[in-house]
Amino acid sequence: MAAETTTTEVRVRSRARHEPWLDRMVLPTLVVMAVVVGYPIVYTIALSVQNYNLLDFRPAAYVGAANYTKLAGDPIFWGSLTNTAVYTFGSVGVSALLGLALALLMENLGGARFRAIRALLLTPWAVPFVVVAFLFRYMYLQNGGVINAVLLSTGIIDAPIPWLNSSTLALPAVMVANIWAMAPFFFLLLSAALSAIPNEVIESARVDRAGTWGMIWHIKLPFLRNPLLISSLLMVISNFNDFAKIWAMTQGGPGYSTSTLVVYVYRLAFERFEFGYASAVGVIWLIMLMVLAWIYMRVLRMESR
Amino acid sequence: MKPNVQSSRAGWLSPGNIARWVAIGFALLWSLAPIYWMLSTSFKTELEAARLDPTLWPEAPTIANYSGLMGTSLPFVSFFVNTVMSCLLTAIVCVVIATPAAYALSRARFRLAGTVGYAILSFRMLPMVVVLAPLYLLLLNAKLLDSGTGLVVGFTTFGLPFAVWMLKSFVDAVPIEVEEAARVDGYPRWQILLKVVVPLIMPGILTTGTFVFMEAWNNLIYPLTFITTIEKQTLPAALVLTFTGQFKTDWGGMMAAATITTLPLMIAFFAVQRSMVRGLTSGAVAGA
Repeated sequence: MAAETTTTEVRVRSRARHEPWLDRMVLPTLVVMAVVVGYPIVYTIALSVQNYNLLDFRPAAYVGAANYTKLAGDPIFWGSLTNTAVYTFGSVGVSALLGLALALLMENLGGARFRAIRALLLTPWAVPFVVVAFLFRYMYLQNGGVINAVLLSTGIIDAPIPWLNSSTLALPAVMVANIWAMAPFFFLLLSAALSAIPNEVIESARVDRAGTWGMIWHIKLPFLRNPLLISSLLMVISNFNDFAKIWAMTQGGPGYSTSTLVVYVYRLAFERFEFGYASAVGVIWLIMLMVLAWIYMRVLRMESR
Repeated sequence: MKPNVQSSRAGWLSPGNIARWVAIGFALLWSLAPIYWMLSTSFKTELEAARLDPTLWPEAPTIANYSGLMGTSLPFVSFFVNTVMSCLLTAIVCVVIATPAAYALSRARFRLAGTVGYAILSFRMLPMVVVLAPLYLLLLNAKLLDSGTGLVVGFTTFGLPFAVWMLKSFVDAVPIEVEEAARVDGYPRWQILLKVVVPLIMPGILTTGTFVFMEAWNNLIYPLTFITTIEKQTLPAALVLTFTGQFKTDWGGMMAAATITTLPLMIAFFAVQRSMVRGLTSGAVAGA
């Protein structure tokens, strides 16, 4: 990240000994972050080794690793972890593929008409998450939902399907809504990456009589690999944290069948007020995200080299 | 879907081209049908919106759902104003605080630069729900719970780290030579930043601000936990909360409310859509 400006680099190296530890200009950001993020993280870690339930009216007591051992034997925690993985990687994977297909389809189409189509294809991304949730919830209704109505009238199904009320179908149904909202992000980024491929590369491949598929497979995909990887990682992280869509569609139900880690922590902390136990889940999760962040930084560094 | 990219040379009616247009047609249908359904339902009567055989086009189009929102049962106008104000304020606060930090991270040399950059980025990846309980207690002690200011504080947790990284990529793109003249003249760094760099990265600042605005608009978990008075609620949280009462069966009213919630975001999105590509590619993909 330091390599963009070689002139400064040279000048700076000769001064390296006098380099200050910190720059005053980052102070406001650091102070704000320390208060609104740093302090809460420390507090969460401290809470995770205490038995602290707001409803108990007892002072918090130090319980050591008890919350963590309880966690290890908590089937809902493991279920939520599995749901989080399925929800995240499933939605991101399918959205990335859809976005890629669209970007390839729309490639080389110029002019006002195509700009309009492109913009229309992007609109789902501009729909607020909560609205996505309620819109799909309405379309998924067992009685009077448009999805069941269409499937019934075309004869694909005989009886209306209770999409969001079935413990097996609810998670995939929520994922479809998520994919609908997320695919435009990949479409936008991959379109930009496609147009950044140097023309000479495409031309020389054409001279070598590369077919459409050969062109995509051998020329375009290698160029798209890094943008695809980085945007996927970004979306994986944001999906790990997704609360609005799941909460507004199913509240984690039926049962705990669509409960992800966010929903589980939220239920523990703000429905059962078990702050200590909820914090333990939060800490585990923090560790997983630090690993992801580390991978992300590694990929970024690879990219900038 | 079988994209046939080269077929544009082969004339309009080649099989590849037809397949391509069919695929694009499906993509348009997939993207727009739900939005059409939201709009169409928002103009239906309560009875028609609940029909077992849904109508594609409202049989008796009515704006009752929209005028109903202005009615007495829900402070819908306050929800709207609350959301706009808190999101706008968040965007401004984040951009103002983040700009000098982004400038320093891009240009200045200091020993902790790498560490600070990594810390800010990892804060960005932090699950909001983890900081939820401590933040709640923090706002409680600061007497900011149940207030718009408290919401802005909450939104800052994800808006600020994002703004720093996004703005850094825009500063990175400004050639250093532009600043040289001012530097030779002995201007202090603050002035160089304000008078030379900020005007140059203004599109980037606007894009970043819009992104922060959109993310705050999308946020549900903070208003849901930090705001207890219904009049002070934001639109997304209000939709969730009122669904248990007001909108339980009134899908027409719900879709009208949803449309109103979507419009500002869509306008913001299309206003910066072009620089968004640049921001995203330089900030997220090429960046760092």
